[in-house]
Amino acid sequence: MSSSIANETTCSFTDRRPWTLRRVLKTRPFLYAVSLFCFFYGWDFLARSLGAEGSSSLARPLEVLAALVDLWDNELAELKLLGHIWASTQRVLIGFSIAAVLAVPIGLAMALNRTVNAIVKPLFDLLKPMPPISWISISILWFGIDETSKVFIIVIGTFVPCLLNAYNGVRLVEPELYDVIRMLGGNRRDEILHVCFPASFPAIFAGLQISMSSAWTCVLAAELVSARSGLGYIIVQGMNLSDPAMVMGGMAVIAVVAYGTTLLLTALERHLCPWKRKIAGL
Amino acid sequence: MTTPTPAPKGKIVCTHVSKTFIQKGKQEVPVLDDVSVEVQENEFLVILGPGQCGKSTLLRIIAGLETPTTGSVTLAGADGVAREVTGPGPDRGLVFQGYMLFPWKTVLGNVEMGPRLRGLSGAKCREIARHYIELVGLTGFEDHYPHQLSGGMKQRVGIARVYANSPEVMLLDEPFGQLDAQTRIFMEQETVRIWQAEQRTVLFVTNNIDEALFLGDRIVTMEGKLPGRVQTVYNVNLPRPRDFTDMEFLRIRQEIIDASQLTL
Amino acid sequence: MTAYREVRVRTPLALKILPVLSIASFFFLWEFVVRSGIVPSTMLAAPSDVARLFVVKLTQADPDGALLQEHAWVSIQEAFTGYFLSLAVGIPLGLAMGWFVMAEGLARPVFEIIRPIPPVAWIPLTIFWFGIGLPGKVFIIFLGGLVPCVINAYVGVKMTNPTLIQMARTYGASDWQIFRQLCIPSALPMVFGALQIALACCWTNLVAAELLAADAGLGFLITMGRRLAMPEMVVLGMVMVGLTGAVIGVVIDCVEKRLLAGIRR
Repeated sequence: MSSSIANETTCSFTDRRPWTLRRVLKTRPFLYAVSLFCFFYGWDFLARSLGAEGSSSLARPLEVLAALVDLWDNELAELKLLGHIWASTQRVLIGFSIAAVLAVPIGLAMALNRTVNAIVKPLFDLLKPMPPISWISISILWFGIDETSKVFIIVIGTFVPCLLNAYNGVRLVEPELYDVIRMLGGNRRDEILHVCFPASFPAIFAGLQISMSSAWTCVLAAELVSARSGLGYIIVQGMNLSDPAMVMGGMAVIAVVAYGTTLLLTALERHLCPWKRKIAGL
Repeated sequence: MTTPTPAPKGKIVCTHVSKTFIQKGKQEVPVLDDVSVEVQENEFLVILGPGQCGKSTLLRIIAGLETPTTGSVTLAGADGVAREVTGPGPDRGLVFQGYMLFPWKTVLGNVEMGPRLRGLSGAKCREIARHYIELVGLTGFEDHYPHQLSGGMKQRVGIARVYANSPEVMLLDEPFGQLDAQTRIFMEQETVRIWQAEQRTVLFVTNNIDEALFLGDRIVTMEGKLPGRVQTVYNVNLPRPRDFTDMEFLRIRQEIIDASQLTL
Repeated sequence: MTAYREVRVRTPLALKILPVLSIASFFFLWEFVVRSGIVPSTMLAAPSDVARLFVVKLTQADPDGALLQEHAWVSIQEAFTGYFLSLAVGIPLGLAMGWFVMAEGLARPVFEIIRPIPPVAWIPLTIFWFGIGLPGKVFIIFLGGLVPCVINAYVGVKMTNPTLIQMARTYGASDWQIFRQLCIPSALPMVFGALQIALACCWTNLVAAELLAADAGLGFLITMGRRLAMPEMVVLGMVMVGLTGAVIGVVIDCVEKRLLAGIRR
């Protein structure tokens, strides 16, 4: 969520005024600091007051940090923290890659060819409303509880957004750009190669971003149901051991790793689509 | 399509072209009615008319992007033989009102698009592209993306892109409609300069009387309501570069304004 | 001139038949693959078996303890409670964050901390806090729907035409008046867009929550099907989840169209 036009026009003229206490109180960095302080202090306070009653169901921030250090140093089910992170990331990357490689070409073909569209679209519409997580049970029936079933869930979860965005990316291309190619003497193949593919690139990347967050949800759900490694496994172990610090530590790591993969995709997109204007968005 | 008119002499000949669009599947909208226009070899012909009078549709029909409902368009090739227009082709180049540059290609990439589609080698494409980029005065901007350029610069790229494909006929569809008034006058001067450097048959569509008079050898005015019909043809025998305050210039200008008010 | 584009009126007959053919052959192939034993019946149930179980489950509570409609009702209840909670909290929060510096400054950092955590990851913690009853699942669903609501409302306000804001200022409108009479109406299309996105998120997370912590509901039906090694029950659960989700989606879509009829174009 970057700053938008509305914001700039309303704020840009106030910058020259002298710094008064009221204005300092309204600056963003100050408010952010207050917010973060309140968040962590409130969390700590809540955890302390709940912990006093005996059954602790909320860990204090420092306890979470300690739990993370502990996971980093000591093995849990034969893997240290980095090993678990890698186990989950590996599943996400494999499933995500398979889905992207399958879904993007199918989506493009659906948008480019009416016959393909007529055959695939109804099947796709039939399967689309089923949340990917509802496939977990059947994937366990099919593939057991090893890696394959987890990768399968991720493929299912990332397939839909990848395909939809590739499909819509092509359909929303400025139609006059096709006229340009035809006026320059290009044929249908040139239209696809020089207009459809590059024009749908940003939309495909947007789809990959959505897929990525979906993939993390799926891998966690799959690991919560059954796993011997991964970040979901850490959380489940924390639950089984009644150790909220471990659960919350796992959640924190998930947040950081998921955020990291999003940043990675954004950087990749910026590298691959240098023409894309910076759009104020999510 | 056989027509009783004598064999056409012009480069582009539109004979009794009519076009009716079907809107929302039912309603018929007549856009062009019995339009006949001839453009001579190396002539700069301007089609002048207010908004929504069918002039852009006429241009798109000549470009081959639309098919006429009745009538036909013929184009004389380099060998002098007239052939009927059936679809878009590299023998005509169209400059779009909305620039229509490929946002994912640099200036160079946009300009060399045409030669590349014809299958020329990379080095040759780049040489042609650089020549025309220089002609439109954009040297130094080869590696810029369209979103980094101003409106006037974008349209120069659009013009260079069409020239690089060396079409026999240039078609320009209100190319400066989105530019501010000063840039527009400058671009008009540039257009004359480029046209004089690279003689081509040009068909230029505009809604601006001054622009039409500044550029055209002949001006075809169209009636200001649908369906579009040809109103009058004016010959402008003024030397170039033209002066916006020249007496003859102003006389024709007033004549066109008076005539156009009859149909508005 | 672009307003008048030729409209292709008729679609070739083949393109009308193909979708029907495609769906029919899908079901036929599915049935055939199971019946012929290419896929063992312990792994996949034929569509006819699923249909039979559907009819049976309408009147018979065994072996999972509840009728099909009861499962569906439990799920719908959970989903809607969580959904409406997330709308009630997320939309006002997002709108306020979009306009008031104070609101954004205070809420943004916390929101950014919570945003990257998939709601599924909250499940163990909610089991600590709420057990496996309704409140825990509602909490998960609430978290799932919250993020899209906040983001869409925020972006909607941010996309208010700045010239209109300046115009309002020249008329002497106060911050609050601009927010109420300009920012909120112009954010409405984005907010309504969030309704669908949030619903999809809620529905996904409902299934996750029920898979892990439930004693009734459609997600529970799926889990029970696996535990009892009844693939037809698993598939029935999946179909019901998909079907119910799709129906709710259509209803929301209708409501949205009704409410937005005057605003969108």
